[in-house]
Amino acid sequence: MDEKFTTVLRPHLPFLPADRQLSDSDALRDLGLNSMQAIEVLFAVEDAYGAVIPDDKLNDETFATVGSLWQAVEDAMQRQEVGR
Amino acid sequence: MSVTTVDPCQGMTPPNMMTPDALSPVNLYRSAAIDPALVRDVVTVAREQAIRSDSDAVFPVTVLNRMRSTRLLGLAVPTAFGGIGGTVEDVMAVSHEISRVCMASGMIFAMHCQQVTTMVEHASPELAARVLPRIAQGEVYLASVTTEPGKGGYLLTAQAAVERDGDRLLVNRMAPVVTGGEHADGFLITMRDGQDGTANQVSLVYADVSDVSAQPLGGWDSLGMRATRSVPMRIVGSVPPENIVGEPGKFREIVVRTFGPLAHLGWAACWLGTAGGALARTVMLLRSPQERKRRDLSSDLLRTRLSKIRQRLDVVHAMMAHATAVYRTGDTTTLGAPNAQLLMNALKVTASEQCLAAVDELIEVVGMRHGYLKDSSLALERALRDLRSAALNYSNDRLHAVDGALVLLDSEVRFV
Repeated sequence: MDEKFTTVLRPHLPFLPADRQLSDSDALRDLGLNSMQAIEVLFAVEDAYGAVIPDDKLNDETFATVGSLWQAVEDAMQRQEVGR
Repeated sequence: MSVTTVDPCQGMTPPNMMTPDALSPVNLYRSAAIDPALVRDVVTVAREQAIRSDSDAVFPVTVLNRMRSTRLLGLAVPTAFGGIGGTVEDVMAVSHEISRVCMASGMIFAMHCQQVTTMVEHASPELAARVLPRIAQGEVYLASVTTEPGKGGYLLTAQAAVERDGDRLLVNRMAPVVTGGEHADGFLITMRDGQDGTANQVSLVYADVSDVSAQPLGGWDSLGMRATRSVPMRIVGSVPPENIVGEPGKFREIVVRTFGPLAHLGWAACWLGTAGGALARTVMLLRSPQERKRRDLSSDLLRTRLSKIRQRLDVVHAMMAHATAVYRTGDTTTLGAPNAQLLMNALKVTASEQCLAAVDELIEVVGMRHGYLKDSSLALERALRDLRSAALNYSNDRLHAVDGALVLLDSEVRFV
């Protein structure tokens, strides 16, 4: 997980204290992400990294933790690289 | 529900679980019989020609030719006759996928397969052995001839009578609407069972194009479904006596067991495909980075509209999946019962209304530029015109009239 990812994510996590670092195991729902906002996070992440997370990854598992979402982003970027 | 003693799917590939690659967007249990690459091939050709065949109102010959060369035209023909041996779910999945890009092509395919299955389940062994292998090879595209002037569109009556003349049956039949009739290699024609037969004693007659002259009597310049070339025709000639499909005068039994359910299942699969394709293209546009900057995707109005559109399609999908299971496990008795007929008719009416409404609302969502223009890549305008035919393609009014009577017959209101 890079610095940019934290910056992109933070505004969508209202229960994350401003002075706390994000870790892979943080549950996104516990930090205030709900399914209504998941689409906004998705767009923000896709815009930030220019990578499209495929439909079959848009599930609860992907949006479970900071780490699982980052993994999906990394996979998407990798796929984009391979496709080039 | 009891299971038919004679398995009409004999020789067909049983449904099984799919690998994700083979899973159709309609998500019915497609069998392993179909090579997904062949479907993609046909869909690609259908997509390429969709705009032109619509604007010029020409039959999608390139798509039909690809259905021939891939042998998908023989999808519903059992393997014993050299066909693919696909199931009803296979036919619906392929019809659905083609209709996502070109509803005319999808409907042409679905209705051909409806005719083929009718032959498979009801033709005499002699007729089946003569025609089914040719369909399997992609040589025969079948058109349906059920409309007739002056009978108010009722499927189960006929006026023109089939006459015996020595060892031939004489056919002389006018039909105001024959989808793809100018390109058909064979026709399944409803006719009164001889001069002494009543209008309700209807026989289904197969006519090979080599046995008859099939003359178009006019053109087809329609609002939508323009590529189906559903022209008026006169069909004149003579056919061998074995060409009566099913018992003479007993077309109703074929309709109950095969012809009716497959019409409604096939049409619903196509209409849902067209509306599903329209929604998929629209969502892709809304989610694109450029479009995201232009509109507020968090708008409650937008989200409510999208939700209602998807809800319409999920209703149709659920009904279709249920009706498919009822058809697959049914027999002449169960499918002839009022509750099963009500379900099949309700599927048709619901799909025709909801799919059209969904596309209409999509146009509202995206607005003039993406929704209303002919050259928009979303093709919502064509989808709307095409889907407007759904209520008329066997009139909803007529089905409601039948359904009302059936409701009165099912006093316990037992759902199937």
